[in-house]
Amino acid sequence: MTDLFFITIAIGFFGLSIAYTYGCERLRGDHHD
Amino acid sequence: MTTLATVQILVFFALIVLIAKPLGSHMARVFGGDKTFLHRGLGWLERGTYRVLGIDPGQDMKWTTYSVAMLAFSFATFLFTYVALRLQGLLPLNPQHFGAKQMPPDLAFNTAVSFTTNTNWQSYAPEVTLSYFSNMVALAIHNWASAAVGIAIAIAVIRGFARKSVDGIGNFWADVVRCTIYVLLPLALIGAVVFIALGVPQNFDPYTIATTLEGAKQTIAQGPVASQEIIKQLGTNGGGFFNANSAHPFENPGPFANFFTLVLIWSIPGAITYTFGKMVGNTKQGWAIFGAMAALAIVGMVVCTAAEQAGTPHLAHAHIETAATAVQAGGNMEGKEVRFGIAASALFATVTTGASCGAVNSMHDSFTPIGGLVPLFNMLTGEVIFGGVGAGLYGMLMFAVLAVFIAGLMVGRTPEYLGKKIEKFEVQMAMLAMLVLAASVLGFSALSSVIHLPKEGALAAINTWPGSAYGGSDSVYGAATGNLNNSGPHGFSEIFYAYASGTGNNGSAFAGITANTPWYNTTIALSMLIGRFMMIVPLLAMAGALAKKKLVPASSGTFPTDTVTFAALLVGIVVLVGALTYFPGLALGPIVEHFRMNALATL
Repeated sequence: MTDLFFITIAIGFFGLSIAYTYGCERLRGDHHD
Repeated sequence: MTTLATVQILVFFALIVLIAKPLGSHMARVFGGDKTFLHRGLGWLERGTYRVLGIDPGQDMKWTTYSVAMLAFSFATFLFTYVALRLQGLLPLNPQHFGAKQMPPDLAFNTAVSFTTNTNWQSYAPEVTLSYFSNMVALAIHNWASAAVGIAIAIAVIRGFARKSVDGIGNFWADVVRCTIYVLLPLALIGAVVFIALGVPQNFDPYTIATTLEGAKQTIAQGPVASQEIIKQLGTNGGGFFNANSAHPFENPGPFANFFTLVLIWSIPGAITYTFGKMVGNTKQGWAIFGAMAALAIVGMVVCTAAEQAGTPHLAHAHIETAATAVQAGGNMEGKEVRFGIAASALFATVTTGASCGAVNSMHDSFTPIGGLVPLFNMLTGEVIFGGVGAGLYGMLMFAVLAVFIAGLMVGRTPEYLGKKIEKFEVQMAMLAMLVLAASVLGFSALSSVIHLPKEGALAAINTWPGSAYGGSDSVYGAATGNLNNSGPHGFSEIFYAYASGTGNNGSAFAGITANTPWYNTTIALSMLIGRFMMIVPLLAMAGALAKKKLVPASSGTFPTDTVTFAALLVGIVVLVGALTYFPGLALGPIVEHFRMNALATL
């Protein structure tokens, strides 16, 4: 379990969170009132 | 419950109520961009920070921009801490010469994530692991940053309710800077001096080697404790300078320091409910939230204190006197400090787990089954019983949205909260925030309860405790249940508590579990990340959607949310959701342990 492994996990998680942000915005856009 | 216990709870709540209005009003002014009495002395610091960092505090951010800014900031500070911990052997302020050996990659990952998410879960004993630089810089930066982020998010969510027909929910950088300079810094400066006056050390000396009366050598760890202690409690962080955390006399010298600590932990979480009421234009709304939190808190305090004071039936069965008298605290004193006794320990346990602080002045693993169930349940509610700084309020607002939705379903009206219609998107986001917490706690607990990891070969390292780094020998555990101090239901509780604590960003533990293995370090770190950011993102989305809505004037059919009825409904929703979601886990852990304890006592 190396430094690269864990930094990759962190980058992956934060990247996923940013994608989640825009995913929620897209969902909101589909329900635009 | 003893009279002392009752008086402590009443005085404690009286102080929290007294602090709420002045501190809450101050925060409302700070985050509203208004001048306060501190701006004359500290305004230059705020303006200078904006200039150096190139921030325009007047630039309003859409919720997506706010969220990405928060995530980028959190990632950058995580990375800084990870690198600093791994390189601590090369950095200054390290008289004990700790290095990368004491901080392997999995532990550094867990620790950096832990402090970034305001959890401050510590799989290690700090005094044999961390240099002063690691403590004061790498970790302390998060004690400030994560607290400021939590409060900023709460303010952004409040703006979602308070604003109408706009895109923006504030400026993340301005919120964090203002929070740090005008809220955390002044309170921390005063509090640190109080801690030093009460006997908490603040020095850079190497550890003292003392010779005991029997001629043995004893190492007495010390260092810059007071400056860490204040922000640890004020920011509901919880990460201690010493392994024994607030049970250690250098972190928590006596009963007055203990009481001061409790007030610090709930000062901002209590006050921010008043801030909420102020910012939405009706302080009764804030008091309704406060009242719901207080009701949940008081029940937990009474149950926990009573359970610990009753002790275990085994002692009574063995004709051992367990009543509280003038010369003994009585009850279950295992794992508790004599200088605190039952009442102060039980109160601390409920306050710290309600608050997502995680500091401990007693060992929760030693609590009776029902006494231990209360801290566990507090975390499982989503840390909304006052909760973490900011996190408690936005968590409770998540439940408020669900409460008005359910109330609306019952009467066939479109739900409204604070003049905003609660529609499909808002409910979806609230549900996403709630469900991700449940998935994390239950999923990881189930996985660790059953997974068999290799005990031999290269993969054995996945669940090996690196004891050789701390002067001992490595321990290979194999199955994830091998790390537990207890078998049976209490052992399951150790696992369940660990993931409830990680997901809820609490940081306390049933510390019988040996969590400093790559398996637990990685899985608990993931639960912390999920519990923090996967909850924040949908709630910010909800805030963004609400800010765009028009205000609907109240009518005779509007369900009032500034009343005792609403507070009671809110309490009911929190308990119902928590109970329904987690009852199986609680049944397998503390509940069956309680019945088993009573049954065994009669054998």
